[in-house]
Amino acid sequence: MRLAISIAVVVCAAAPRAFAYDFAVDVRTIGQGYQVRGFAPDGSNELFSRRRLTQYLDLGVFDIGPSGWHGDDGTRNVFYFDASLRLDADFGGYILGAPGGAAAIPELKQSELVILYAFFGARNLGGRVDFQLGRQIHFDLVDFYAFDGADVLVHLSRLVTLEGLLGMEVRGDLPLSSPIYELDGTSSGSRDPATRPDQSSVIAPMAGAAVAVGTPSGAYAARLAFREVWSATADQLPGEPASGVDFEAVSLTASANWRNRLTVSGGVRYNILFGEFDDEQLAVRLRLTARQWVTLEHDFLAPTFDGDSIWNVFAVGAYRDLRASYELALPNGVKAYARGFLRFFEATSDEVATTGPYAGQDVGAADGGRLAGGASLGAAWHGARGMARADGYWDDGYGGRKIGFDTTARLRIRRPLELEGRATGYRWNDDVQIAGINQGVVFGVQAGGRYQLGPGVRLHLLLEDNFGTYYLSQFRGLAMVELDAGL
Amino acid sequence: MRRSVSYLAVIAAAAAAAALGAVAGLASAASPATTEAAPEAPVAPPTPSPLIYPAQSIPIRFDHAQHARLGATCEGCHTAAARSTAAADELIPGEAACRGCHKIDRADPTKAVPAGQGAARCDACHIDSNGNGWLPALTMDGGVALQPPRVDLARPNLKFNHRLHASRGIGCALCHTAAAGQGMVTRDDLPMMASCLGCHDGKQSTARCGACHLTEPDGRLRVQLTTPATIAAGGTGLLQPSGSLRGFDAHGPTFRRDHAQAGRDEKYCLTCHRRNDCIDCHGGVVRPPDIHPADYVSLHVGDARRNVPDCSSCHRLQTFCVGCHQRTGVAPDATGGQPGVRATNPFGTGTGVKQFHPPGWARDTAGVVIATPRPDSHSVQAKRNIRTCVSCHREESCLACHSTDPARGPTVSPHGPNFGGTSRCRFLSARNQRVCLKCHALGSAQLDCEP
Repeated sequence: MRLAISIAVVVCAAAPRAFAYDFAVDVRTIGQGYQVRGFAPDGSNELFSRRRLTQYLDLGVFDIGPSGWHGDDGTRNVFYFDASLRLDADFGGYILGAPGGAAAIPELKQSELVILYAFFGARNLGGRVDFQLGRQIHFDLVDFYAFDGADVLVHLSRLVTLEGLLGMEVRGDLPLSSPIYELDGTSSGSRDPATRPDQSSVIAPMAGAAVAVGTPSGAYAARLAFREVWSATADQLPGEPASGVDFEAVSLTASANWRNRLTVSGGVRYNILFGEFDDEQLAVRLRLTARQWVTLEHDFLAPTFDGDSIWNVFAVGAYRDLRASYELALPNGVKAYARGFLRFFEATSDEVATTGPYAGQDVGAADGGRLAGGASLGAAWHGARGMARADGYWDDGYGGRKIGFDTTARLRIRRPLELEGRATGYRWNDDVQIAGINQGVVFGVQAGGRYQLGPGVRLHLLLEDNFGTYYLSQFRGLAMVELDAGL
Repeated sequence: MRRSVSYLAVIAAAAAAAALGAVAGLASAASPATTEAAPEAPVAPPTPSPLIYPAQSIPIRFDHAQHARLGATCEGCHTAAARSTAAADELIPGEAACRGCHKIDRADPTKAVPAGQGAARCDACHIDSNGNGWLPALTMDGGVALQPPRVDLARPNLKFNHRLHASRGIGCALCHTAAAGQGMVTRDDLPMMASCLGCHDGKQSTARCGACHLTEPDGRLRVQLTTPATIAAGGTGLLQPSGSLRGFDAHGPTFRRDHAQAGRDEKYCLTCHRRNDCIDCHGGVVRPPDIHPADYVSLHVGDARRNVPDCSSCHRLQTFCVGCHQRTGVAPDATGGQPGVRATNPFGTGTGVKQFHPPGWARDTAGVVIATPRPDSHSVQAKRNIRTCVSCHREESCLACHSTDPARGPTVSPHGPNFGGTSRCRFLSARNQRVCLKCHALGSAQLDCEP
């Protein structure tokens, strides 16, 4: 007996501690072939053929570490890793040739391998701390950014959280990086290539801090955040600044929900780089009855760019939006909606002509004016075997007019097979272009299906053909194979 | 002045909302929180989601209120409830629990009992599919159907531990608020999320969604759920927020376009979504046909000028837009192409084949640079929505004319009146003077924002 106990003790001591890893792998292969309308040298229309192959590889490892680390409630000290890689190969040709050298564009390369995100993280560390370390993407109502670095959240109480981040902005010039979340306004080929060709490749540190308050249920929440991106001056000349700020802003977002009937949400961003508010949003959603909702929104947006961009001194116009929508839930899984918007482009200080044929006039208010608006109407049905949806829309004013419809349906034939189709048509009129190329009509049809090849393996095929004013056929085909596996 | 107008508009919007709220009677009772199910769910009804609590069949008639008046207690009949650790446990009392008061005799389906005693007939409680009282009867083949229609409770897609709640002194009525006062109690009367959140607020008890909802291995909520109804339809149902929790999170028919407010809290989105769900549109490689309909290349011009939808919410102008325009020949910059491939840019300005910009855009018909703004001149359009310019041009296009360096070309100032006195000039010059130096010489007075 004593021997048996001794052996058991030794075996238990030597045995590995219980670990509980979960792996998730998502592999998607997408092949696309399509035609894009272009313009031949003689002025006629032509269609350019494009072929594109995209490969996604997403890998997640969750719950790294012994299960005994998770505390009494099973939620503490959860470690994980999450990554997404994408290879996008575009075989379509450049009609004007692929820009190279200083003019090269680090997006839509002929072949681009990027790490969209890859980070190691921890949740509820010691019951207080969350962190992520690596390439990560973050967003809120008035901000969207990606960086390589660390993001740490400290939960001071159940209502108050402090956040800090430090890293480098993800720029297209970095290895395995895409510029899709880089500050806009400059790019590798336009960051003053004449005098400062290397500015785009300079590392841009990013730092930020935030304090958030709110209830877990979302009854109310607010977040005050600061974020700055800056960079050293490349090839600095005597007298030039050693560095410059690319982005610097303070933002406040907040929401409140009253008795699940009225929700108010909004945010403002003060751009310190320009000393102006460049983003203000306020929205109200009201549940009129159990089946009716109304949403009202107000937006103010002023264009601002990367601090290195001269667009910042050109861009002085801002616009203001008022939007309203009404949603109605009908029996049998049908929802209908009506939506409208009114956009007002604000006047700038120098739009009154001092001389010429428009002397004394506000030229910005003439010929198209400052207004744009539109409306859409639609309904969607979700049933046990599929869905159907129909939408109609109309936009007018600044930018021209468009009016059209869009209908789509998906039907599950039997367990592994779904069929889908779409019909689209619209008419557009441009308010600036010269006659002959300033209007058109387009109709399009899509047909396709999804087939479940096996557990976690799906095949999606889609064919599309369009015809209209400028061509009789414009083809598009898509094939996607998706493998979603967990271990 | 612009600020004043801005705040006035905000106040007006808030006032309008308040007026609408008053009309709708906000003071009425709080609505229950629900989740919405597709495919088979009705939308935001005051009942639980059929994906959480699937449809059930309880061919019984029972009056909880009457039993409560006679002194019956919850625990007296639902004896298993206090020991239950899973939502799937069947907690409807069996016949044995009834026999204490109802002197049932299976051999006598129509047994009569004295007045004041509990009924003992089968059809006093059991009903058939038409809602009529059930009694054993001859079947089509001459046999006798001795079993009444069965109770059919599908497994809920939820975690719930009655024992844990009972052990903390939580009474039945705290969650099953109206049960003791009504007749039949069905799935429609089960507690919904709003009542859970009364205690699960992160302080009294965990507010983690996964504490009650089923989860994936990575901690996200499981949203593809199966019920007998979805299995019969050959698939799964999709659990989506109805908006009862946060309002703007309702995944309604306009959500794909209007989810900015819901996206205010990324952690809330990531409760169910992976980050790649965002990237599929915000930086994806497949055109979403509901946002960009067929042949969007033809339609996108007006949308881009109007900036509806906001191009920059998914596309980076200086890379995605410029790159695509160069590939299709809609590009003005010589550096963006190789003239040897196609000598004549067919869609540039001034080729005479197709003019992208209308006559009078930057120069008049004699080729003279327009000195004063006109409605169709580029200065007005650029100030209106410079994003449109940025989607084709690079900075060199502007610097060709708008620079203080005469070697580059005309030295036309792009600044409006008194730009030097604006906060934009002062702040930008102080925070990043590099941008000023693209046009202005080192040491020039303009760098100090002198008017």
